[in-house]
Amino acid sequence: MKDFFDARPAAAAFGVLGLIVLALVVAEGLHDVAQASLNGLTLGTVYALGAVGLTLVYGILRLVNFAHGDFLAFGAYIAYLVNVTWGLPLAAAIVFAMAATALLGLASERLMWGPMREKGAGWLQLLLMTIGLAFVIRSAIQWFWGNEIRTLDVNVTDSVEFLGLRIGQTELMVVVVGIAVLVAVGLVVRFSLLGKRMRALSDSLSLAETAGIDTRRVILYTWLFAGALAGLAGVLSGALTNLRPELGFELLLPIFAAVILGGIGNPFGALSAGLVLGVVIELSTLVVEPRWKLTFGFLALIIALVIRPQGIFGQARTT
Amino acid sequence: MTEPAQQAQGAPLLQVEGVVKRFGGIRAVDGAGFEVATGSMTALIGPNGAGKTTLFNAITGFQRVDRGSVRLAGEEVLNLPAYAIARRGMVRTFQITKALEAMPVIDNMMLAAPDQPGERFRSLVFHPRAARQREREVRAQAMEVLEFFHLAEHADAYAGTLSGGQRKLLELARALMTEPRLLLLDEPMAGINPSLGRRLLEYLQRLRAEQGTTILYVEHDMEVVMNHSDLVVVMAEGRTIAVGAPQAVREDPAVIDAYLGGAA
Amino acid sequence: MSVSALPLAVTFEAFTDVGFWSGVLVVAGIYAVVTLGLQLNVGFTGIVNFGQAGFMAVGGYSMAILVLEAGLSFWLALPIAVLVTMGFGLLIGLPSLRLRGDYFAIVTLAMAEVVRLVAQNARDLTGGNKGLYCEFEGVNQTCFDDAWRSVSDSMLGFFESFWSDPEPLLPLLIVIWVTVAIGVVALTYLQGTPWGRVLRAVREDEDATRALGKNTLLYKLQSLMISALLGALAGFFLALFLATIHPDDYEPIVTFFAFGVLILGGLANYKGVVVGAILLWTLLEGTRFVELPISEEKTAALRFAIVGAVLIGLMAFRPQGLFGKREEMVLGD
Repeated sequence: MKDFFDARPAAAAFGVLGLIVLALVVAEGLHDVAQASLNGLTLGTVYALGAVGLTLVYGILRLVNFAHGDFLAFGAYIAYLVNVTWGLPLAAAIVFAMAATALLGLASERLMWGPMREKGAGWLQLLLMTIGLAFVIRSAIQWFWGNEIRTLDVNVTDSVEFLGLRIGQTELMVVVVGIAVLVAVGLVVRFSLLGKRMRALSDSLSLAETAGIDTRRVILYTWLFAGALAGLAGVLSGALTNLRPELGFELLLPIFAAVILGGIGNPFGALSAGLVLGVVIELSTLVVEPRWKLTFGFLALIIALVIRPQGIFGQARTT
Repeated sequence: MTEPAQQAQGAPLLQVEGVVKRFGGIRAVDGAGFEVATGSMTALIGPNGAGKTTLFNAITGFQRVDRGSVRLAGEEVLNLPAYAIARRGMVRTFQITKALEAMPVIDNMMLAAPDQPGERFRSLVFHPRAARQREREVRAQAMEVLEFFHLAEHADAYAGTLSGGQRKLLELARALMTEPRLLLLDEPMAGINPSLGRRLLEYLQRLRAEQGTTILYVEHDMEVVMNHSDLVVVMAEGRTIAVGAPQAVREDPAVIDAYLGGAA
Repeated sequence: MSVSALPLAVTFEAFTDVGFWSGVLVVAGIYAVVTLGLQLNVGFTGIVNFGQAGFMAVGGYSMAILVLEAGLSFWLALPIAVLVTMGFGLLIGLPSLRLRGDYFAIVTLAMAEVVRLVAQNARDLTGGNKGLYCEFEGVNQTCFDDAWRSVSDSMLGFFESFWSDPEPLLPLLIVIWVTVAIGVVALTYLQGTPWGRVLRAVREDEDATRALGKNTLLYKLQSLMISALLGALAGFFLALFLATIHPDDYEPIVTFFAFGVLILGGLANYKGVVVGAILLWTLLEGTRFVELPISEEKTAALRFAIVGAVLIGLMAFRPQGLFGKREEMVLGD
């Protein structure tokens, strides 16, 4: 039985998920389950966007980037600057945020990770540096914007109804934009030359080098990619909830959960796992009180890591 | 460590049968098997991709396998944790030497000794004198073994400061501290100069003659295999294709085929 | 006395204020205790444990719950809470110590967060966001630190015989630093034993150690459980210092700061932990000296920036910290 699941992990996982959803539908009714799933999708979009970039960086460079959450926060606050302080429309804020965070990612690679790799730094050294970077970004956010909760200039009251389900206008925007970008990302990673190269590097950096791929360039593009997606995820998260300095850390662990569940280095896995994680977390509110949502998410991560460290879609790797 | 069962000279110490390991769709090991007689020196050879490393790791507990049997002195040890297999007297070295470099040579050696009450937390706390006593014994023994390998003068140096050849000898010396019944060497000749290689083989022959240590090794160097083994086991494509005396195996058409023919 | 001709007014009063130093040394001591455990794990066993804040929380909350809700005596609650925390360490170690290094780090971080979130949400048991301090039954009030307070007051009474106005934190300060001293001595002794040798071997190369017949999982578990013990002690001290148990005091920030202490002092040596803790906290609390024309909020932001800069700077330019050896920084790669 274990062998069956080991051989078809994705099918097994979705099978289990399907059973759980079915049980919930029977217990709570289709409407509640559908509504929770829809809410989960908005949350999952943020996770998925954050996870794709993180998984590529983790997979290619073996960098456990604890600053990634604060990249999202950075994007959110840049969007605040553009959207609220300068009064420009949200679309402009998104563009600025993505560009700024992409540059932040690039800068971190040129100034920190690249030089450290050249010195032969180990993963723990780099991890501790990412924590340091996270602190620096967070302190900058606190310095300029303080601790009070801020919101983007978005519509929080209007909602749309379809098929008996209700979704806020902002939530709808998040899902639409998020899914659109995720689809585009999926296409780029799957079909473009850059995407193929990123996946090759993720499989084996040394092999890619010997194959003649300009790994330095691919790494730089990956950082731009990861930064831009993180920035977008941050803005969308800020639009969904609000802006506070802890935003970065709050999103970090669920995003790591998606990365690990999807298999490190696997962008499609991270994408799916992010969406599924969001839905599962929201579905849990049907069974436990909403305040336990996040705990549930972390427990899922722990259980997944213990049962199948390589994730649902990953290949077993010893190092 | 358990007392080694009294094995008649020539009786099989290790029996490997029908081991199968799949990685995804590929059968890295496909029903391999052979026997190692007590007190003998056996070589495991085969072209690249034959599955030697996987089988070697499987026997020593570093790789779980799907099926098969590995019996050490009659006791089944398949899929036991690596440390449990080592404790039963089957000790391996590594192809890329794993000398514990940030530790002194003497520490490397003393670490390996079996039955150390000082290593167990409870014994350490409740029987400190027994722990200290054993520690003294182990140190003396370690120095003796280091003498045998002409490494005694480096006892207090960090293992990382030794030359590559010296570290290889250290790994062997360390393995001997465990009082093994069966010593498994993973490509002992890899990456060392011929004179050191000769010394190593001398040590191994002495061990066999003086202490009755059984030795199984994986090797690519044919000259070594021809001159320093009682039995040769040949693998190709995950299976054992020939077992016999070195001369016989060298002339076996199946073996020649595997090396020159289809195999990688 | 203050130099106010400069735009940055630097007051030196704080340097000589006993109250200030007591506060710094208490917090530094708490961090020293928790980081001693971290040193055992990371510096000597090679396991990257990001869950120390979780151990502190389990220890602190178990103690408070046992006193306030089970009505146990404080002195009985302490050892039981230690055992609970060690049991928790065993529970999370068993399934996760066989994972590779970075996975283990993430699992322990997630575990610590689960603990904190449970503390925040299991209101009936833990007081949720109100935290735990005292229980009221009519006119009777029990606080978890009642027993400690009476001990502390007796000690202060004793000090009054030769010091007219003894610093109220002094008893706690003494207990904490005696614990640190015992911890350093005990751990240093353990390192020199055959047991300690196996730990170092596990850190150096786990496969080689397994090949020599050592059950490395067992050793890693023991290391984790000792670290849990120290975390529990640190949790007690924190609770006594703050006179409250609250989920906000066990955020991952605490673990990250402990890592800052660890690498400042340098890996694989225990005295470095002591020096690192005192240095780092003097530096952090020292931001109060400098009266910048900025708000309280910004001072808090400054602390983050300082720790962040310390982490980045050390890793980039001096990964061995103050007392570590350069070779020791090579970690299970």
